[in-house]
Amino acid sequence: MKRRPGISGLHSAAAARDQYRSVGENVARIRTDLLKEQLATFRTQLEEFARKHKHDIKKNPAFRAQFHEMCSKVGVDPLASNKGFWAELLGIGDFYYEIGVQIVEICLATRSHNGGLIDLNELCSMLSKKRRTSRETITSDDCLKAIDKLKCDGLSFNDFADSSTIRPMTAYLQVLGSGFEVFTVGKKKLVRSVPTELNKDHNQILELAEVRGFVLVEDVERALSWHPGRVIDALETLMKEGLVMIDDGHPDRKRRYWFPCVSLSSSNAEEL
Amino acid sequence: MGDFKFPYFFDYPPYFTLQPVQDTREKQMQLWKELILRYCQHHKCFIINLEQEFPLFQNLSIQRKLSFEAREMFLAALVAEGKAEWLDKAHKKCLVLWRSIQEWSEMILQLVRDNAMEDGVLTLDEIQSGDESRGTELAGIDRFVLVRALKLLEQRGKAAMFKGKAGDDEGVKFSAS
Repeated sequence: MKRRPGISGLHSAAAARDQYRSVGENVARIRTDLLKEQLATFRTQLEEFARKHKHDIKKNPAFRAQFHEMCSKVGVDPLASNKGFWAELLGIGDFYYEIGVQIVEICLATRSHNGGLIDLNELCSMLSKKRRTSRETITSDDCLKAIDKLKCDGLSFNDFADSSTIRPMTAYLQVLGSGFEVFTVGKKKLVRSVPTELNKDHNQILELAEVRGFVLVEDVERALSWHPGRVIDALETLMKEGLVMIDDGHPDRKRRYWFPCVSLSSSNAEEL
Repeated sequence: MGDFKFPYFFDYPPYFTLQPVQDTREKQMQLWKELILRYCQHHKCFIINLEQEFPLFQNLSIQRKLSFEAREMFLAALVAEGKAEWLDKAHKKCLVLWRSIQEWSEMILQLVRDNAMEDGVLTLDEIQSGDESRGTELAGIDRFVLVRALKLLEQRGKAAMFKGKAGDDEGVKFSAS
């Protein structure tokens, strides 16, 4: 734009600026509309692509990561948007996923009571109570499958490296699901939802505790032929982990060590 | 007023022993604090005397009761939260405020409005157990708490207490309009 000297020069500069601005606005508007249209088309094509390559997306983590990156570029969150389609595609939102989420909720809610260790049967019964409205019966096998899936999905969600596109719930499952472990002690299966691992001493005491829900030091000494020091050590570690509570109230004045995770108490799912 | 429903932890013996592990103890205190408030509200109980038996602090079916230390600790925790007050220096009598004095004073105002007594007069007895309060949460309110609530209303200029003639009960004149 040629500069013209003097006042008239200023005027035409201002007028030109105005003109440019309105043209600029128009262009911006057109561009936005075009972009929206392109995105919509892209989204449809993305869905088409996902449908065609469903198998690869599920099985191949590298492929899945790239697909996810494509999605995030167009602002599509495969885990949240259009629940029906994506849920069906990636196998989430189905029965076991739902149970898995509820298992996590129950474990979190009971953690302060049982230290993160819960009897599988108790978990199962609390789950059934929670799902009272739906008619299906949940077996402990269902629980095991759901926990397994939690662990698998926990690993696969790691591939979705971009945390801004992971729904809070999924990130939460990723952290917790991969920490779940089911192990057998004596006659019971226990579900561990905390990272604490129990050593052999702990497991042995746990097994003894299954009989009455608690142990006395003398019981453990007698049954396992341990030195009292070894018993107390193990019990104190378990206490620090929140897995054991002490009870000094029995009329016989002997201290009992209770294990909420193997206890026969009836916990009410709603209360927690 | 139906039967009081005890929570799950009330039947679990360890909860009657003060837990040494910090996290476990905090959980324990939280549970007991809530239970104390709920129990007192249900039974319209305002005062807990540590030197007397209080039915909530023992569970005969599992043969357990809270030690003096535990009871004092739980009540002290409620006091720290503003949900209770010690009535004596020795910390033996505890006033449980499952409703705050402020809340009680609001309820009195509501009672006054509901009975069109904005410029009326009531005796304290009537507020505690008269026709007007029957069926409301005010019925059976502790006299000490009532006076505190009325004093609050006095500060706000909504009421003025006065002593009756010899032998008559204390009364309060409302200017709640």
